[in-house]
Amino acid sequence: MPLRQQVVFLALTGLLLLVILELVRRRRLRVEYSWVWLASGASIVLLILRYDLLLALTETVGAVVPTSTLFFLCILFLAALCLDFSVRLTTLTRQVKDLAQELALLRHSRGEPAPPTALRAGEREHERGDDRFR
Amino acid sequence: MRTLIVIPCRDEARNLPDVVGELRSVRPEDDIAVVDDASRDGSAEVAARLGCDVVRLPLHLGYGAAVQAGIKLGQRGGYDVVVTFDGDGQHDPADVAPLVAAVAGGADLALGSRFQAPGAYQGGPLRIAGRRLFAALCGALTGLALDDPTSGLKALGPRAQALFASSRFPDRFPDADALVVAHRAGLLLTQRPARMRASRNVHSMHDGLRPFAYAANMVLSLLVAALGRARDLRE
Ligand SMILES: Nc1nc2c(ncn2[C@@H]2O[C@H](COP(=O)(O)OP(=O)(O)OP(=O)(O)O)[C@@H](O)[C@H]2O)c(=O)[nH]1
Ligand SMILES: [Mg+2]
Repeated sequence: MPLRQQVVFLALTGLLLLVILELVRRRRLRVEYSWVWLASGASIVLLILRYDLLLALTETVGAVVPTSTLFFLCILFLAALCLDFSVRLTTLTRQVKDLAQELALLRHSRGEPAPPTALRAGEREHERGDDRFR
Repeated sequence: MRTLIVIPCRDEARNLPDVVGELRSVRPEDDIAVVDDASRDGSAEVAARLGCDVVRLPLHLGYGAAVQAGIKLGQRGGYDVVVTFDGDGQHDPADVAPLVAAVAGGADLALGSRFQAPGAYQGGPLRIAGRRLFAALCGALTGLALDDPTSGLKALGPRAQALFASSRFPDRFPDADALVVAHRAGLLLTQRPARMRASRNVHSMHDGLRPFAYAANMVLSLLVAALGRARDLRE
């Protein structure tokens, strides 16, 4: 890889890594989510510095050009990330459901009426996304 | 038998007075809990005015989670039987007694079946086909001959209440899949005739294209229920 490219890509990746670290530092990104991004940044750095690794990998998987290996890896990575998010969403969905049920039952047992406004207002928005099939 | 009748409702303000009134006259001993799923038509206020227990979900969670909230209420209240009953006037209060009797007689879950009741409302051809499909799948997966597995009229004994209150309950689409889960958990299931009527609602949760999405999800959910790890079911 030409030196110019190396410098540019390294700078961009360095910036990306800095942004990730800063997000974690400001608690905008949770530590447990950050390592995936840090690891992907690190592997980009590795591939920039050791272009021969990418060439070797391309050879191994039988791809013709290194770019397709790179794209393939990226897509695989994104798919894995989406799957991970779906799993986390599943947990969150269940937790929100349980919490909402507990809140309703608690209010019922205390004889409190539900406040009619606050959450109702956001309801439309929520429903637009996935109006339950049921 | 201390019985709690759970009515999950989404925008049923118009129907609740009749449904609750009829239930009260036929089943004066039973408690009635209305689970309001963030209705936009004041269903909760109507239910409260009718003197029902009202569990009001702060967010729209959908039918399954609403039913589950009602089951949790019944389970914590120590009820012998929890009956799930539609709020749109489709279920006949007279059908509750045989279901409760079935639970009293040792069943864990008794299902109201419209195919056991001559002249019951069946719905359009699509519905009938769907029900047949689920019944066949359910039968193939469990060996149970429950002919109306998507029926919303159910009576649950303590064991079924505990199962359905847990995370093993398929809370998004609790129809045939919930029955398969119950069967696999070792519960005793049975069915009794239910004279379903036509809904009084213009809108249904099965409007438009949703039945197709519903059917697809149901098949998947059934397979998950059938193929799930046995130890997850026993817990
Ligand atoms: N909590 C809750 N209840 C719902 C929801 N959708 C429907 N229901 C209630 O569930 C019951 C059955 O709903 P329906 O829409 O009549 O469903 P169905 O009886 O299978 O379909 P129809 O034959 O068209 O009436 C009624 O008491 C509804 O108020 C929902 O999103 N949340
Ligand atoms: Mg109905």
